[in-house]
Amino acid sequence: MKEGSASPTASPAFAVLRAEAFGVQALRRHDPALAGRPVALLTGAGREFVIAERSPEATGIRPGDPAALALARCPGLCLGERNVEAEVEAQRLLLAAALALSPRVEATAPGMCTVDLQGADAAATDTALRRRLAELARAGLEVRAGLAASPLVAAYAARRADATNPVLVVTDPATFLAPLPLAWAEPAPACAELLEHWGIRTLGELTALPKADLANRLGTAGVALWERSAGQGVRVLRLAEPSRTFAAEWSYEPPVESLPPLLFRLRRYAERVAFELSAAHCVADGLALTLFLEDGAEHRREFRLPEPCGQPDRWMRVLQAHLDTVRTAARVRAARLVASPARPPQVQDGLFDTGLQDAPAFWDNLARIAAIVGDERVGTPEPGDSPRPESFRLRPPAEAIPPPAPAPVHAARGPVLRRFRPARPVCVACAGRRPVRIEGSGWQAAVRDARGPWRASGEWWKPRAWAAETWHVELAAGGLYQLARAGLAWRVEGLLD
Amino acid sequence: MPTGVAALDTALGGGLPIRQLTELVSGAPSSGGQSTLGRLLSVTRAARQRVALVDGAEAFDPLAVPPDDLAHLVWVRTRSVAEALAVADVLVRDPNYAAVVLDLRGCGERSLRTLPATAWYRLQRAAETGSAAVLIQTEAPQVAAAAHRLLLPSPWSLAWATDLARAELAAQIAAASLRGRPTEERATA
Repeated sequence: MKEGSASPTASPAFAVLRAEAFGVQALRRHDPALAGRPVALLTGAGREFVIAERSPEATGIRPGDPAALALARCPGLCLGERNVEAEVEAQRLLLAAALALSPRVEATAPGMCTVDLQGADAAATDTALRRRLAELARAGLEVRAGLAASPLVAAYAARRADATNPVLVVTDPATFLAPLPLAWAEPAPACAELLEHWGIRTLGELTALPKADLANRLGTAGVALWERSAGQGVRVLRLAEPSRTFAAEWSYEPPVESLPPLLFRLRRYAERVAFELSAAHCVADGLALTLFLEDGAEHRREFRLPEPCGQPDRWMRVLQAHLDTVRTAARVRAARLVASPARPPQVQDGLFDTGLQDAPAFWDNLARIAAIVGDERVGTPEPGDSPRPESFRLRPPAEAIPPPAPAPVHAARGPVLRRFRPARPVCVACAGRRPVRIEGSGWQAAVRDARGPWRASGEWWKPRAWAAETWHVELAAGGLYQLARAGLAWRVEGLLD
Repeated sequence: MPTGVAALDTALGGGLPIRQLTELVSGAPSSGGQSTLGRLLSVTRAARQRVALVDGAEAFDPLAVPPDDLAHLVWVRTRSVAEALAVADVLVRDPNYAAVVLDLRGCGERSLRTLPATAWYRLQRAAETGSAAVLIQTEAPQVAAAAHRLLLPSPWSLAWATDLARAELAAQIAAASLRGRPTEERATA
């Protein structure tokens, strides 16, 4: 929504992102028990505790109210103190969201960032800004934005924005500033009292006074106040450095022994890391999670994401699928999450490719299966480079199934081998070189028919040289089996089925 | 969904039913269970359909089938029946697979019998939400919730089996429908 469209107009060059009651919001992001409940933060000491901030649900109380009065006026009120760790984390989240809009960002104050938008496309910025605010809200941080030609007016606009109009664009600063309360310009207490006696209560009423006369009566402080009230003043932003590592480490106090509290905090930190990756125009192609246990042990697991992505929801599905199966000997006192940055995949399917019907489900399900059986036990097999038996490797499945290859000149013949892993050792009686009876590993049977031998060897130049002699046999008791002899040892390699 | 094995396709009225469980019981060693899997891989490869194999005994040999027949396969090697069922439960819901094969041969009949029947009904309901044909291979009738149960009764002979091409060999596979409950069928066997 635009406010004050009358001339003179000024195009927005700065945006301010501001989280109202930042301390309360940060605390709520860290403690799931506070969701939906009236919360207030205290400041002061001893019997002087007063309310510093309150959540929207804490009706009937105002900042500055004594704690006892607040409890009487708002039954069910949860009182707490500032959580520095939670506020630092929330500030990093806000900063990462701002850096996704522009590389020139200032961390102005706790819960407030100023973004330099000079040179940015207005329409694209508005779309990106609204998307970021929605993502921040999903991450537990309600943020409003103001856009204006100067950082100060943008800050006023961000403060003026509300839930129904979370992005306020100021094109006519004079019209916009006139009705705002004088307190927003932060006059000194003595100055504020004097102006109150004069009947000056809004910024517009103050700027209606001649600046020179105000300077005579109030001195330089009065001039600075007048300029702040008029939205004047130029300052250089103290630019923040974007994060170069995409990691989070946090502690649990008290240590946790169940999954829900572990996942709640894990998700919060994953959201912040995802924002930082997004600000760097990257996604994650792998995650590493380390749990630090009370007994000093560590549980570490690396996850290869089948498809690089930056959505914390998809990360959490992978992480939760693994954590569901983890049992630790002691409680978890801290955790660390590290994301490996990668460029977003840019793939265009061919016209005749048979792709995936639901690619996210496919990769999510593979990750869940890998969490159950292990990464090395799931994938698409392909033959290895060596003719050695069992020479194959697993690779990640392809998104698109390629067209079938031409039929081989020599078609495969005979039953398909079903392997015993490991191969089963047996004693084989031979007539000449031909097996006539096998015993051991559950067999005691005469060989009715035998084909072979087929000899193979390889890697004779290496210490791991191998050689094997293979036979196909039919037992009198029924069943076709593949026998292999290496030296004097015989093994049943599998069933020809 | 055709399997490429004439006897099975005839017994099933055209092929594996979609969103249902089909149990294929290998009544004797070398009766064609693994060759059926090989044919299914060939047929689905030609149609460029994705197949998942949950290998309960880690018995599948990728080198035993043509390399091109592996391009559409997702092979999952599990360590126990419980793991195999957990993995199958995920896969049968996935709309990206045309067929899910749960191979429980060699997993030990005791561990299969200790499974509650509800485990199979849970898998059946999960399969109804997906779009895949589900083939469960066993050594004795186990799957209470199977819509169809087929038996491969006849062991092959080395004299002729090793010389036939795979497609010709598949034509030699015999199949018989089992109508009773798994417990009754086991008692009969």
